[in-house]
Amino acid sequence: MAIKTLELIRKRLAERPEEIAKARREGQKVVGWQGYNIPEEIIYALGLIPVRIGVGGDDRLVEIGARYISTKNCVFVRETVGLFAENKDPYIQNTDFLAFDATCLQTYRTAEILEYYFNKEVIILGVPRNFYWPEAKVYFTKEVEYFTKRLEEQTGTKLDNQVLADTIALYDRIREAIVTIYQYQAATANYLSWEETYDLIHAGYYLDRREYLSLLEQVLSELREKQGQPVIEVTEDEARIFISGSVIPPGDKKLISIINEVGGRIVGDDLWSGLIPYLEVKIPENSLQGLAVGYLNRTPHGALPYLDLDTDQRIKRLKELIKTFKAQGVIYHTLRYCDPYTFKAKETKDILQKVGIPLLEIHTEYAGSDFEAIRTRVEAFVEMIRNKHYEEVAV
Amino acid sequence: MTVSGNVFRYPEAIKDRFLETEDIQFRDGSKASPADVWHYLTEIGPKKYPNVYDYSNYFGRKISGDVTLPFSLKHNYLIMTMNERMTKAKQNGVPVVFVQGGQSVDPYYAAGAIALRPASVGIWASGQHEGLNLNQEEVRRANQKEKAYRAISFEVCQSAGYENIQEGTVPVDMIAPFSCLRCSDVSYGLEAHRHGKRKDVKLFLADYPLDHQKDKEWAITYFAENIRRLIESIDELTGNKTTAEDLRREIKLHNEGRKLAMEIADLWWSAEVPPTNGKDRRDLFQMGGMELHGDPEASLSLLREAKGYIAERVKNGQKGFGVSDDPARIFVCGSCVFPNEYRIEEVGGIVVGNDNHWSDITTIVEEDGDPFYNLAKAILSYPYEQSIKERAQWTVEQIKRSRADGVLFLYNWGCNTQSAVARALVDEIKRESGLPTLIIEHEQRGTQTEQMQNRVNAFVEMLK
Repeated sequence: MAIKTLELIRKRLAERPEEIAKARREGQKVVGWQGYNIPEEIIYALGLIPVRIGVGGDDRLVEIGARYISTKNCVFVRETVGLFAENKDPYIQNTDFLAFDATCLQTYRTAEILEYYFNKEVIILGVPRNFYWPEAKVYFTKEVEYFTKRLEEQTGTKLDNQVLADTIALYDRIREAIVTIYQYQAATANYLSWEETYDLIHAGYYLDRREYLSLLEQVLSELREKQGQPVIEVTEDEARIFISGSVIPPGDKKLISIINEVGGRIVGDDLWSGLIPYLEVKIPENSLQGLAVGYLNRTPHGALPYLDLDTDQRIKRLKELIKTFKAQGVIYHTLRYCDPYTFKAKETKDILQKVGIPLLEIHTEYAGSDFEAIRTRVEAFVEMIRNKHYEEVAV
Repeated sequence: MTVSGNVFRYPEAIKDRFLETEDIQFRDGSKASPADVWHYLTEIGPKKYPNVYDYSNYFGRKISGDVTLPFSLKHNYLIMTMNERMTKAKQNGVPVVFVQGGQSVDPYYAAGAIALRPASVGIWASGQHEGLNLNQEEVRRANQKEKAYRAISFEVCQSAGYENIQEGTVPVDMIAPFSCLRCSDVSYGLEAHRHGKRKDVKLFLADYPLDHQKDKEWAITYFAENIRRLIESIDELTGNKTTAEDLRREIKLHNEGRKLAMEIADLWWSAEVPPTNGKDRRDLFQMGGMELHGDPEASLSLLREAKGYIAERVKNGQKGFGVSDDPARIFVCGSCVFPNEYRIEEVGGIVVGNDNHWSDITTIVEEDGDPFYNLAKAILSYPYEQSIKERAQWTVEQIKRSRADGVLFLYNWGCNTQSAVARALVDEIKRESGLPTLIIEHEQRGTQTEQMQNRVNAFVEMLK
């Protein structure tokens, strides 16, 4: 039986654009944000409505965006620009100003383009690339403070310490709920698929965060009732796939649907549009400094280079998650011109090969022209995993 | 100039006058006399590197042919002797550091290292292969590049010497670029070395903060710390302790180069007719970055000498070799690539300036006070790394000073960060300067040179 709360979430998502428009008419401001290291808690604590912007999968918008940014940028940023150029998406129409971070240079460039061509007020959060240095934490803390000051100037409101503390607590609970739900989706007898979980995460980009937490907790309650404690085991007929690599934003269903069609079961991911932003977020104190340190200490985004392979937390996390979700193979999704992840494809394949995990790189865009070619490759990969499993059982 | 069967030779007629010119002074205290240079260019070079003497206009790196400009000959000498000079430096215990990011190289030299950009590493690697004609050399380079594409990704715009470093053909000790906004491949290319074969190469990233960085004290302080750590990392290689005074002294030396390049540019741009061809101009201006030859003192000695020659040509209204009458003047913006200047001159144009690298050369570093802070502040002020409007404003100033008739924005295939702002920058430049503009993607791996050239030629014809 399906999880009933999912229906409610879909209904609330359908109502949300008008709700936001109404809130704006009543004087509330909406911040459209994009990036990996923006502490959304600050936006929410200032009484602003945060909306995480950026969708995928629409080649028409990609083409429109490329008229302003270039065809040598990844389709995600091209589509983001296309959204603003077309200005028909209700979430885009209803942003008062934007907040972008400098984690990915292409995201940063997108912010510049939106500012230049569409007269958008964009607040940028600088992100250090030597993020593991103590000096980088000082720099990032100053950036977070400056970012907050700019937001305060926009709203005319000062950030209240108690409200910030309450908001951090709220977001901690959201993160905890998402991480727990991920366990359920990967379980042997699951009532929630990875695809539904992924949509659930994306619902949090738009819904009011207090309501979102309440909905997540309802989902969890239903799951507990149906499944009890999640047990993750590999069954004979499965090909358990883990997805890694470039962003797969709301709307980009190409690869996901292909994996499903050919009988693969996605059981986990380390995507920055998926689970990874919610893992191991430890805010050491309820302050801007605490937020800065907590965010910087998370699993780093692939766009932040790390020079020692043996101590790379991103690789370590990838291996851990594959193990936790008992994945049997990795589909490494790279968007064309997404250098942070594309440049790491071969390296990641070599690393996982050493621990017996096969990796298939799918390098793609949003156009449908490569659909069949991808299907053939994914199908072969899924078959290979299944055969490997049968061979192991036979032995 | 003598050209026989498309092979260039320096003419004996210029020898006596050339021998009266200045020595090249090197950082290690040694010198190369004009006689040494002449001997190398006329006797040794043609045998060792026949490809360099190929005189086809399709070869963008061909010898300029403006044989009465001594700096041009000496520059060719320094390029051809890169392998010998680097080998000698390595034998003397001088570490070689691979750099990228369009930055000044003051801190690397202050710490006693040699800083080489990708092109210089490529020249060093080429220098290890003697007797190759142009075709053989191009095939060799392409084969090398393929190794990098396989190890990293076919989408790297430039492999940045990865193949040569990882193959061990060039014994680079450290890879230490600046991250900065100009190029995303810098960071990821550096990171790719962590899975390479060579484990003895030190990796370091100087982390360039973004977004109004020059106006944020905390960003300057953070970047100053990056410079400090960079120098400490090089110190670990040399076993020396670089002091603030060492850095200050180096900044003064590099400031002299930067100032000389700007003075030469002002002279060049003020001339009624272009006093050199586009290739010589580019080499000359870029010498102000003090990194072109892997030896700042050598670059400086060429700059000092060149200024007088340029001034004389400007005074006499002498035109550079190969430049047509009243050429269409083109300013080139964009990535770390450039068009074939000779082909542009063939159709009646000339490249009069570039924004890339010129941005750091035109930024003078404050000499009084904390050199780490001063250098950090200067580097974070590079116009090329600023917002679209600020960068465009500076570019328009350079365009006006150079009296350009048109602007070409060229970006490398796969260059995410320059291509992203190409249209916006060009729109802003067009609005501010009123000049015609053209955006072109530089071909991938030399496969579309003619298509690109056709478009550039059409642009030149339109300007004329």
